[in-house]
Amino acid sequence: MIRNPEYPEGFSLDSQSAIHERELRDYSKKKKKRRAPFDLPFFILTLIILSIGVVMVLSASFASAYYSSGDPTGYFIRQLGFAVLGIVAMLCISLIPVQLYRRLSVYIMAGTLLLLLLVPFIGTERGGATRWIDLGFTTFQPSEIAKLAVIICFSAMICTYGKKMKTFRYGVLPFALILAAVVGLLILEPHLSASVIIIAVGAIMMFAGGTRIYWFLGVGVLAGGAGYIAVSKLDYAARRIATWRDPLSDLQGDGWQIIQSLYAVGSGGFLGLGLGQGRQKYLYLPEEHNDFIFAVVCEELGFVGAALILILFALLIIRGYWLAMHARDKFSALLVTGITSLLAIQVFLNVAVVTNLLPCTGISLPFFSYGGTALLLQMAEMGIVLSVSRDIPLKPEKTETAAETEKTEAHE
Amino acid sequence: MHLFWKDSAAVRPDRMILSRTLCLLTVCGVVAFAALTARLWNVQIKDHDRYESMAIEQQTKETRIPAKRGTIYDRNGNAMAVSATAYSVYICPFELKRYGEDAQAVAAYLAETLELDYDSVLKKCGDASTWYKTIKTKITPELADELRAYISANQLHSLHIEEDTKRIYPYGTVACHLLGFTGVDGNGLEGLEAQYDGLLAGENGSVSRLAAGDGSQMLLQSYEAYNPGKDGCDLNLTVDLDIQYIAEKYLDQAIADYDVQNGGCCIVMDVNTGGILAMASRENYDPNDYLAVSDEVQAQIGSITDADARKGALAQARLAQWRNRAISDTYEPGSVFKVVTLAMGLESGAVTEGSSFYCGGTTTVPGRGKPLRCWKSTGHGSQNLTEAVQHSCNVAFCRIGLSVGAPRFYDFVERFGLFSKTGIDLPGEAGSQWWTWDVFCSETNLSQLAAASFGQTFNITPVQLAAAISSIVNGGTSVSAHTVQSVTDSDGEIVYEASEEAGVRVVSSETSSKVCGILEQVVSGKGGTGRNAYVAGYRIGGKTGTSEKVAQDAAGGAKEYIVSFCGVAPIDDPEILVLFLLDTPGAQTGIYISGGVMAAPAVGNILSEVLPYLGYEAQYTDTDSAVLDAVVPDLSGMTAQEAQQAVGEAGFACRTVGRGGTVTGQLPAAGAEIAAGSKILIYLDAAGYDSSAAVPDLTGMTFIQARTALETAGLYMDTTGAWPGNEDAVVTAQSEEEGARIPCGGVIHVTLTDCTDTGQ
Repeated sequence: MIRNPEYPEGFSLDSQSAIHERELRDYSKKKKKRRAPFDLPFFILTLIILSIGVVMVLSASFASAYYSSGDPTGYFIRQLGFAVLGIVAMLCISLIPVQLYRRLSVYIMAGTLLLLLLVPFIGTERGGATRWIDLGFTTFQPSEIAKLAVIICFSAMICTYGKKMKTFRYGVLPFALILAAVVGLLILEPHLSASVIIIAVGAIMMFAGGTRIYWFLGVGVLAGGAGYIAVSKLDYAARRIATWRDPLSDLQGDGWQIIQSLYAVGSGGFLGLGLGQGRQKYLYLPEEHNDFIFAVVCEELGFVGAALILILFALLIIRGYWLAMHARDKFSALLVTGITSLLAIQVFLNVAVVTNLLPCTGISLPFFSYGGTALLLQMAEMGIVLSVSRDIPLKPEKTETAAETEKTEAHE
Repeated sequence: MHLFWKDSAAVRPDRMILSRTLCLLTVCGVVAFAALTARLWNVQIKDHDRYESMAIEQQTKETRIPAKRGTIYDRNGNAMAVSATAYSVYICPFELKRYGEDAQAVAAYLAETLELDYDSVLKKCGDASTWYKTIKTKITPELADELRAYISANQLHSLHIEEDTKRIYPYGTVACHLLGFTGVDGNGLEGLEAQYDGLLAGENGSVSRLAAGDGSQMLLQSYEAYNPGKDGCDLNLTVDLDIQYIAEKYLDQAIADYDVQNGGCCIVMDVNTGGILAMASRENYDPNDYLAVSDEVQAQIGSITDADARKGALAQARLAQWRNRAISDTYEPGSVFKVVTLAMGLESGAVTEGSSFYCGGTTTVPGRGKPLRCWKSTGHGSQNLTEAVQHSCNVAFCRIGLSVGAPRFYDFVERFGLFSKTGIDLPGEAGSQWWTWDVFCSETNLSQLAAASFGQTFNITPVQLAAAISSIVNGGTSVSAHTVQSVTDSDGEIVYEASEEAGVRVVSSETSSKVCGILEQVVSGKGGTGRNAYVAGYRIGGKTGTSEKVAQDAAGGAKEYIVSFCGVAPIDDPEILVLFLLDTPGAQTGIYISGGVMAAPAVGNILSEVLPYLGYEAQYTDTDSAVLDAVVPDLSGMTAQEAQQAVGEAGFACRTVGRGGTVTGQLPAAGAEIAAGSKILIYLDAAGYDSSAAVPDLTGMTFIQARTALETAGLYMDTTGAWPGNEDAVVTAQSEEEGARIPCGGVIHVTLTDCTDTGQ
């Protein structure tokens, strides 16, 4: 066991695994020479989805903005500003080599845990939960950063552990401890939906990283059993499930939101009422420009519009995984897989909640839901993906030659 | 994929990461989105209609436009039931909670303004799961304005005022049982209001517009749907308000005069169509305030100490006053039914006008243990058919019934529609009760047939009897009793009209005219039991009835009777039938309890007003003129000779006082209506004497005796009741008591009654 001076304390590599890493083309310790342009399809898909999202914020928010402040475009202008800022951020971040994050991963994780630890003390309380930190000009949720931090940290850990991922000691335990720490802090806020997302994205990272399948099966069975007991024993959980199965049974309480959402989605029909013509946003549908903005999309653009947007998301996600599979090195691949999976999880959960496929919880829709810092962060994540894509050579022939060259280099 | 990666596998992230990423791509990029799209399809396409309608229901604010309830007109176009605008107040507890409005303040205000109980209003406000709780209906427009001011002053979202209608019955209690009434929600609950509720109510209209969640107008959106609804249809009745009024007047009078305990009823029917011209029932009520009971009943109820019992008694009293006895109560019709038996006998040929009967007071009937007794225990002796009807002889009618025979009798009963309801267009009609065929047609026991022949041992409703007798006297065709002549919708189109079709023949026209001829003799012939119904100048037929209430008798209580009379006029070509029925006249009045004494005069009075109203002119005979009231002419300034001539022409005798040439005074004064044949005093250049006279006791005197007695005292009389030409009619009441002193020439009102009918 030798200590690698380039690695901060806590990450130890033995000589064998270091050699192994090298064989697997771990470029994180290599200097980058020439970078290709970023992946155009991914970039364009991101811009299209972002544009539609910003327009939908205008449509969804103008009613409530008018009723609350008298200025119907208030939310829209702010979101547009953040979108422009986000594009700039994305482009800038796409220039930063991703290996930087691997080096910083421990600090990122530590900083995130510190932030999360601070939230209960310096955070702002809204609706019974302390999730926000007020920066004066804007507020942000450290849980959003935690998602990215987990992805970066896990990617780095998987790269480091290599083949030992198959063991419990390396493949499960450290990840589980980090997840437990993060989720434990989130529960304090409390922030259930973020916890769910982080657990899901963490699990996906472990899955991609090579943790043995039976661990997932085992934990899955355990979680299922716990869930079943919770639903059958806990009044609160049972009520939530009942509201989910039949929202009309609790029209005055939790059912109200989901029923209003279903009214919006359902009344959209095939072609929708037309952009801006929705009615549910007029003080019926709660959170109409945040968590339930997709309901407004469905109402106004109909099945055709909603399905088209889902297809755009699906294409973006598929392209993301495609980039991951073509990434030059393992860390990049895992990073992109994590970011893409995070996007997929959020989109899936949001749309599932809006259409009552899953019980109601507050999950925002990436690129659509109103919220400046969250949007900035999403754009930054896209920037990371683009940065990875820059390391993918454009043409297959070139890829081969480059690979050959690199192979030779590696054996030097 | 495998091929693609083959050569570069070693330089790429390891194979497992690739395959697992590919797996993620499939699950997160394809399967998850396929699931979402399928879900969207379900919600947006499959359940689209359901969610859309629910969403629109929520997004549109509907303002109800209440349909105007139709008017009920009598046959001359008098509005008997009309609707006027009123308002109702309701609260939306959901909005109250949502907008955080002060439930206690609202409840306190409403309780004070609308005179309601604070706690119950507060309870309504508190039920936040509902959207609609009615606070009060039918408030006045002024009160509604006051509430509106309160709502806008406090910017309340939860309190609402809706237009509503209120039902008004301009004639109060008149025809209450026919009209019925509407409840708080405007639904017809009784009478025609209930029977024709669907037609009268119409369909409410509405205006829908889009509204935001707080009820305000949606921005950039406009949508308005207007459904005008349909006003209710108007009913045009066969009922004639004037005839109804006349019938009720004499019903009330009879009930008061004879101290009737259980009320009564009266039906005036058009014998040719079955249309109801009037239908009255007692107890009655005011449909404008149908919950209120009469002061008398209220006082009785108020004296009950137990709260539950009091509540029960009040409910009972209300049901009793709402009950239309003409259609809802059955009774044993008694002798009035002899009209039906008579028609059966004549139609079947069992008897002819020439048949003769002997009544020795009793007769034996096979199967009946005791001999059957006639109401006149000494018997009517030998009588022809007409006399048997005039005398209402039970023995004779028992014979007629037995000659007809039970099976034929039973068939006739069915033919006259007495087994089934008349189907009159009023709610709550009762059916009849008869012996079964097996019992009635028993060959060994004829007692049921014998009793049925004079109207006993079965129960029918008054309206059934009226319809049956109508079908006998109208020439022999069945009629269906009905109250609505036509229904017109709000555009004036006739949507329903009573059938004009002739009914089924039940008896021949010969039988019909023979029955009419005999019925006339009951009223006008000497010895007839119905002579109190005689109206001078008109030809009237009829039949009396006095039936003992069997249930009361069986219970061992005092004997109680239902007295009735059925009159038909004009009897030579019948148009209308009046069936008049009093339940339990008081035993304390001293007046003999019988249909002839109590019900017949009332029918006579009704016909004496209704027949001229219907345009029949009185055809007085000389005998009529000699006894009817006439107007005293103005004689002033005439010569003695002229005066005497004028008096003679007016139908009076006269006596002159003084020896002058011109009239200087007269008794009684010009314009007074007094009995014909009275002696007018004419003063010729002589001072009239103005002394007073003592009123003599006239009770029991005939017309001539009474007139003479008064003349002796210097007084005059006019008469009501029985025809004064009837020598059997005697004075039963006088307007001034014996011994009272009134100025000479005063007019005493005298009531004459024929007391021949001392039985059935």
